[in-house]
Amino acid sequence: MRLPPFQFLEPTNVEEALSMINTRKETVKIMAGGTDLLNRMRLRLIEPAFVMNISKLRNIDGIDVGETETVIGANTRLKDIARSPLLNKRFRAISEAAFLVASPTITNMATMGGNLLQNTRCIYYDQSGMVLNGLEPCHKRGGTLCLAVKGGKRCFSVYQGDMAPALIAFDARCVLEKKGSTRTVAVTELFTGNGATPFAIGADELLTKIIIPQPKGMFSSAYRKLRLRGSVDYPLASAAAFVSVTKDKEVNACRVVIGAAGASPKVMDGPSNEANWEGMAQKAYEYMEAVDNLQMPGAYRRKTVSVLTKRAIKAVMDRLKEGM
Amino acid sequence: MNEMKKTAISLNVNNETHEIVSNPNKTLLEVLRDDLHLTGTKESCGEGVCGSCTVLVDGAPVRSCLTLAVAVQGKEITTIEGLRAGEKLHPVQEAFVNHHAIQCGFCSPGMILTAYALLKENPTPTEAEIRRAISGNICRCTGYAKIVEAIKSLAEEGR
Repeated sequence: MRLPPFQFLEPTNVEEALSMINTRKETVKIMAGGTDLLNRMRLRLIEPAFVMNISKLRNIDGIDVGETETVIGANTRLKDIARSPLLNKRFRAISEAAFLVASPTITNMATMGGNLLQNTRCIYYDQSGMVLNGLEPCHKRGGTLCLAVKGGKRCFSVYQGDMAPALIAFDARCVLEKKGSTRTVAVTELFTGNGATPFAIGADELLTKIIIPQPKGMFSSAYRKLRLRGSVDYPLASAAAFVSVTKDKEVNACRVVIGAAGASPKVMDGPSNEANWEGMAQKAYEYMEAVDNLQMPGAYRRKTVSVLTKRAIKAVMDRLKEGM
Repeated sequence: MNEMKKTAISLNVNNETHEIVSNPNKTLLEVLRDDLHLTGTKESCGEGVCGSCTVLVDGAPVRSCLTLAVAVQGKEITTIEGLRAGEKLHPVQEAFVNHHAIQCGFCSPGMILTAYALLKENPTPTEAEIRRAISGNICRCTGYAKIVEAIKSLAEEGR
């Protein structure tokens, strides 16, 4: 299927990019790797008047591992994140998540920022016009009904990004720039929780950096996911776990973030003194929105997310034991 | 309908510069096949899943169906046509022929370029690394065993 018509913009620096989106606002779509955007355009889910390619902006890519925080540029390719030995050592869940995105050919193209800001999906929405013409407009298409949940008063489309759960497990923040100002927000604040309009970002804002604070003490992390085909598909359920321990080897923080669980990743902070995987798995089961709107049944995804939660915590505890 | 202006696009494909005038909404795959007549690059799923359209951009395998031609100006693009030296097949191509790693052949250009990029970066990959590298290239004839064998034979030679 051909892409719809648009005008192509290619800024040479961030200031020029901010200026371009400031004047064009909602009419412009930002393209980083293009792996998600072009497919949405091909299906005519969006038909922007302008496409702005930011893949050549070199000053917003790269990984800078510091003592108090690590900065990852929004344009950093997922391949580079998956392969970074320093990230793999410190922020294992983040490099595991990047490694598990689609296939190596896709991670050669896809970026951190693009993965983070990918739109929500639903089998009743991510279809060509030929299919959608036969369906009543749902909430995501400006209608008043949900085709996945009978009587649904809101959109239940699912956020299927791999990077966000892993970043949230580390309390990561992101830098959003617009002409004349910059703001830093927690990654959790990027999400509205509403599948129809999943992101709380202005049309004139550009995500430029991700900042990961250095956790205190001894800690480890892990990321696990379910997908239909191991090499290409989006997660149908996922879990990122983070556990830190004191000098006395007592657990002092346990956090699990589940993905593909609704319109935004769901955060679960466990009791401060234990990494209780049964309890966290039960919580994950309860937090998961088990809607039949992806390629596997909601009930199966819900059961699996609790298994993935256990596996992720267990992997972290094993890693901590190895390091002790 | 949005406005669109044709634009001059200069592409370095297989070490040759090609100048075309085209709409910015054309993918690299469309330009390679329709404008440059380099039909070795195949279109199959057209949505970045199957890997048939794989080409190398600055040495890295990418999906040409998910790449805008206008966005890869200034980069070195290699298609399957650029691999051979004159009439002589590249060793990766030869290995695929010798190991019967080709059935219908539709996935072969993408598969060979992915294998070429892997071996360039890691001349002695393990079988697990080979399988991981080609995981984004789907062979609908399911000829994976022979494909892995072909790549392994080169890995063993360290080529």
